[in-house]
Amino acid sequence: MVRFFLGFLVLQAVLFGLELTPWAQTWFVVPWTDTLAAISAGLVRWFDPQVLAQGNVLQSANGFAVSIEAGCNGVEATIVLVAAILAFPASWQRKLVGLAAGIVAVQALNIVRVISLFYLGQWNFDAFEFAHRYVWQALIMLDVLIVWLLWVRTLPRTAPALPAVA
Amino acid sequence: MPAASLGRFVLRVAAWLPPAFAVWYLAGPLFAWPIAMLTTLVAKIGFSDLVHAVEQQGHLLTIVSTLKPTLATTQNTASAVLSVEVNTLLYSFGFPMLAALTLAARQPRMLRTLFVGYAVLAPFVTWGLLAEFLKRLVFDAGPAVAAQTGFTALQREMIAFAYQFGSLIMPTVAPAVFWVLTHRRFLEGFAGREAGAATVQ
Repeated sequence: MVRFFLGFLVLQAVLFGLELTPWAQTWFVVPWTDTLAAISAGLVRWFDPQVLAQGNVLQSANGFAVSIEAGCNGVEATIVLVAAILAFPASWQRKLVGLAAGIVAVQALNIVRVISLFYLGQWNFDAFEFAHRYVWQALIMLDVLIVWLLWVRTLPRTAPALPAVA
Repeated sequence: MPAASLGRFVLRVAAWLPPAFAVWYLAGPLFAWPIAMLTTLVAKIGFSDLVHAVEQQGHLLTIVSTLKPTLATTQNTASAVLSVEVNTLLYSFGFPMLAALTLAARQPRMLRTLFVGYAVLAPFVTWGLLAEFLKRLVFDAGPAVAAQTGFTALQREMIAFAYQFGSLIMPTVAPAVFWVLTHRRFLEGFAGREAGAATVQ
């Protein structure tokens, strides 16, 4: 348990530090965020054809727009999930499967977050602020926790479910 | 917890989240009071040259610095000091998340877990508040204020990292980690194992 949590915390800090570097921002975070905005706009256009994505901004025909910034692009949540899976004792094959499925699950909910906030903001800005600042942050981390628990449950029973204190 | 009951557990968490958020938001000033005390203590010990006082108004804290504002062009501004208002809610939304997880898990001594959880998480909230205070002095208040802080380039980088980590990672990760640590038996039950049956060396 101690080894897992230390590994988790160190990996998380390292990955987060890497994310903040100009190189990672230019080559990973900005394209990732722009892609997220494009996917969100693509989904929304199924029922709201006037919505546009420009860079990291999702814009409605009525002029309302949301900008997807750090903390809302799912990168930090993904970092937490990656650290939790990599630090956990399991085979590399299982870790890679967990990472692939987990990242998709976290980003899928994040797209729901972006789209829901986009419409919540057009309805009531106070509700948008509350959901944006507090509720969705907690929901995304709950998603990470549940995805991680589901992944732990898929591990072979010969391996420990949760590492005990050594 | 039997493996099949994960869905029910998630539903219970979802059911507890709205009342937990409501209590946390409405009782914000009450929850913020010990955090204001702790923030005052840490500020006085660690940043006594920068912090004059910490004042609480509801869930907001005003951290009164010892620094002069950027433009001291009149007698008023020359004698004024810079204050930074920070929002405790921005760093404490992990409390309702922890409460929902704990209440949904239905393990013994839930109230004790919640009290201990608050005590454990409060320093992380203080971290976020003080990191935001320092970040706003160094990066947002202008070069004249930043110069008064006397921070080196490396220290400014550390403040930026502490702020980002304290605002983007810790508010949600700290309660999740605390919950996992305090619900290990519950989680092992969920995975369908005997508690403590396996050990990782």
